[in-house]
Amino acid sequence: MNRTIQFAKRNIIELSRDVLGYIFCIAFPILMLIVMSVVNESIPKEAGMHIFRIDYLSGGIIVFGQTFVMLFTAILVATDRSTSFLMRLFSSPMKSSDYTNGYILPMLLVGVIQSIVTVLASCVIAGITGTELKVAGLLLVILFSIPSALMFLSIGLIFGSLFNEKSAPGVCSVIISVGTFLGGIFFDAEGVGGPILKICKCLPFLYCTKVARSTIQMDFQWESFGKPLLIVSLTALALVCLAILTFRSKMKADQ
Amino acid sequence: MEMSQNKDMIILDNLSKHYGTKKAVDGISLSVKEGEMLALLGVNGAGKSTTIKMLSCLTKPSGGTAKIDGHDVSKEQTLVKEIVGISTQDTAIARNLTVEENLSFMAGIYLDPKSYDKKARRERVEEILQDFKLDEVRKTKSSKLSGGWQRRLSIAMAMIGNPKVILLDEPTLGLDVLARRELWREIEKIKKNRTIILTTHYMEEAEALADKIAIMINGKIVMAGTLEELEEKTGQKGLENIFVSVAEGDRA
Repeated sequence: MNRTIQFAKRNIIELSRDVLGYIFCIAFPILMLIVMSVVNESIPKEAGMHIFRIDYLSGGIIVFGQTFVMLFTAILVATDRSTSFLMRLFSSPMKSSDYTNGYILPMLLVGVIQSIVTVLASCVIAGITGTELKVAGLLLVILFSIPSALMFLSIGLIFGSLFNEKSAPGVCSVIISVGTFLGGIFFDAEGVGGPILKICKCLPFLYCTKVARSTIQMDFQWESFGKPLLIVSLTALALVCLAILTFRSKMKADQ
Repeated sequence: MEMSQNKDMIILDNLSKHYGTKKAVDGISLSVKEGEMLALLGVNGAGKSTTIKMLSCLTKPSGGTAKIDGHDVSKEQTLVKEIVGISTQDTAIARNLTVEENLSFMAGIYLDPKSYDKKARRERVEEILQDFKLDEVRKTKSSKLSGGWQRRLSIAMAMIGNPKVILLDEPTLGLDVLARRELWREIEKIKKNRTIILTTHYMEEAEALADKIAIMINGKIVMAGTLEELEEKTGQKGLENIFVSVAEGDRA
């Protein structure tokens, strides 16, 4: 456990010194939150569009931010693999669980911090626009967005293990685009319906958004919260296992 | 560190590593006594780094055995990893961490918290910072260090766990003559009471630092011994002449 903590500490320092991390993981989601709130203010009330209303939007933005956690996990792992730093560690008494936990824990922390910042920014925007937000929902979303954060960082761990530092960000950007679009973050997937909704329902991203949105609105029904949470949690569990297996097998192959 | 006279610390017996049909290391056998420094000398691709990788448990041997302090590198990896420090060919440092943070991190990995509490670990880091004259750059990000400083840090990181055996893979590769001489002095210092295997293709480095020299060509150790023994065997003076005569003899 001590070695896991040491490695996690090192990864936190690495991340905290990367300016791009602050820009993409914190500033960019907040910027999107502000821009979309401005867009919402420009939409006439008669249109009946609520997708950009802060109580809907903030859940989606939490998930949007998590896609960048995936990107930075992939970059960190891929960069470590490309330098001989990991090679030196492979010759140390560290166990494979020390590596995977040492990557997962700090990135999960980043995900939680990101959710807190998004929630705080949402409160400010809600105050300005006069939208009502439920405090309990805002607090609970920090907890219930953990499975989706775990899911995204596991994807990052898999890509970082499989691809090099140049190709991993490219592959991640595909997932960011697909996840944002098919996750219904900036459009109402259920309102659109048809084949798009069918595709959205085949992927886990829409369920991540639904969990976050429902939690913020304190809507804990099975269809809107329970079922999506179960799907996201099971997907996260499967992806964590896959990420651990992928990292271990690449660790052996790299040697 | 206590030393028993003439104890074999590293024993390689018919050690080999194959990648498909390519024999990177082809059945090498040798022993290194406790407190001795062996230089593995050879051109690029001779099999030196692969040998180091096998000894540091980074790759599994295809055949034969390698034992460090009686522990088999294939079967007792955990025990081997605890007594071996390695400085790889690339500097292998965390580039966004400062010199001090790199050392603290390695101290956390190598030093058992049962015997080394936080204070003792900090003291060990301080000791290494002083020993390797890294104090003046302790707050400098590793990526900002010159090649010479990075190599020095890399060796200091290998030393943090007070290992019985140190593996130095091309420690002065790419350094200018002054930085190389400076690093030689550091290596001379850590030589005391430790068993070291150093790989190099610089003849003068092997000559200046090593107690014993093993010449590797095409994955095989073609000759090994002290400089005097090699001179006697080949009838040549100086390591460069010895190496050329052995390499040309092997080619013929």
